[in-house]
Amino acid sequence: MTSAAVVNDVRRRYGRTQALDGASFEIGTGVTGLLGPNGAGKTTLLRILATVAAPDSGAVSVFGRDPAVARERVEIRRRLGYLPQDPGFQRGFSVFEFIDYVAILKEMTNRRERHDEVRRVIDAVDLASVSGKRVRALSGGMRRRTALAAALLRDPQFLVLDEPTAGLDPEQRLRFRDLVSRAGEGRAVLLSTHQTEDVAALCQDVVVLDKGRVLFHGAPAELTAVAADRVWVADERRGDAELVWRTGEGRFRHLGSPPNGADLVVPTLEDGYLMLVGRFDEEAAA
Amino acid sequence: MSWHVPEQLAVAYVDGAVQGARAASVEAHILTCPDCRSRVSAEAPGDRLADIWSGVVDEVDAPRRSWGERVLGAIGLPETDARLVAAAPTLRLSWLSSLTAVMVFAAWASNSTDRGIPLFLILAPVVPVLAVAGAYGPRVDPTYEISVASPYPTLRLVLLRSATVVAASGVLAVVASAFVPNGRVAAAWLLPCLALVSLTLLLARWVALPVAAFAVAATYALPLLVALVDGREVSSALLSPAAQWTAAAVALAALTVMTADPHLRAAMRRN
Repeated sequence: MTSAAVVNDVRRRYGRTQALDGASFEIGTGVTGLLGPNGAGKTTLLRILATVAAPDSGAVSVFGRDPAVARERVEIRRRLGYLPQDPGFQRGFSVFEFIDYVAILKEMTNRRERHDEVRRVIDAVDLASVSGKRVRALSGGMRRRTALAAALLRDPQFLVLDEPTAGLDPEQRLRFRDLVSRAGEGRAVLLSTHQTEDVAALCQDVVVLDKGRVLFHGAPAELTAVAADRVWVADERRGDAELVWRTGEGRFRHLGSPPNGADLVVPTLEDGYLMLVGRFDEEAAA
Repeated sequence: MSWHVPEQLAVAYVDGAVQGARAASVEAHILTCPDCRSRVSAEAPGDRLADIWSGVVDEVDAPRRSWGERVLGAIGLPETDARLVAAAPTLRLSWLSSLTAVMVFAAWASNSTDRGIPLFLILAPVVPVLAVAGAYGPRVDPTYEISVASPYPTLRLVLLRSATVVAASGVLAVVASAFVPNGRVAAAWLLPCLALVSLTLLLARWVALPVAAFAVAATYALPLLVALVDGREVSSALLSPAAQWTAAAVALAALTVMTADPHLRAAMRRN
């Protein structure tokens, strides 16, 4: 695997919070999902890879360039597309104006070429019908797509997307998956999400982060296998399982020890993720 | 119809080599003659037509230029820089209104109360610094995170926006100065202002621009305001040649250090 980005023993603290605590992994081309509970350090990690923040210690490289070196940082930024977790918009800007503004930041100085590129990414996220509307007048999902279009400008080789599907309806999410899977062909995409379905549908690689540490790095099937022979469905709730919830069919899904009379079922990626994060919590408490 | 556009004329027309009455005659004819219209259009290269169409589309849906962009363009800033600079939060009407209110108050106070003149001398240099505070930064610019992750030099953006907002707020302060009763007082804030703005920009190399601006403004204004409230004499100190020379020296030193920075020079040489 040719590494697009390398994270080596990265630590970052905000006040009393240790956001990243020795995280290490490498990602190559294709789509990599970054999973983890709230406060796991996902956004901090993405901000560091997007050259917005710097680690307190440890090393990061993107396409072999070191973001700590000013000249190399600019080279990374020329190949980067970044969707922040909470992208802001200039007051009064239309969709076209906002993306045009970002295109200028991405060094597109030729007006005609820039506008053609703006129209291309607006079409890619299916916002051509609202390109003249004020961004602040749009729905949350449309604003998210506007910011995603800006991230796609200049066909970046490394896309860093922080919760890109937040606020999207199911149809928009399907469209987004298509867009990202195409973007991942020959390029590197790193996306953080709470949606295990997105990871299962999109990613060749998944990194699970919790409490600033990498708990798992591998293929989605390997993460699913963490819960192999550990997922049961029973008619009643049993207390000895690690995690139990009532399904839509009125039965109880158990993760962990098998309750009496339960049926063993095929695990999902979410089961594997929950087993992993739950186990880590137990170890931390012990 | 006995006359048709000869091939040679059609080629010359498409190349733009036919002017005046002959061009008008070709245009009038091809409106009514489908054969000549298709022959003339066949002479036009496809990429040129596409280019013209692209230009038409671009003119129709391109972003309109704001008044700020037009002003910045008129003073020679490239279109792209003008767009980034005009988006500075401090150039919004709400910010400019607030700064105007401060200056109107200071000018009114200088005419109305005993402490008005020192109050004007304290506030006038601080107003442009506050404008700089709102020009760029994580809490004031909604697209800050995206702009930091872009290859456009942050230093260039900071300096261009700062220069613009200082100019805009400086105009407000100059207008307010016209209503100050003493001409010497009206001009005495200029050098301290230059010093404070220069120091702010220098400090912004290490801390966020709003933090630098508020730190510099507070360091200058708070001790003076406390002294004013205590009833101590402030005006004579601020108007003294020593204070003016000190301000000039601070401004010169800060600007010298900044302009010696090769990163800054590289950033400002773009375009």
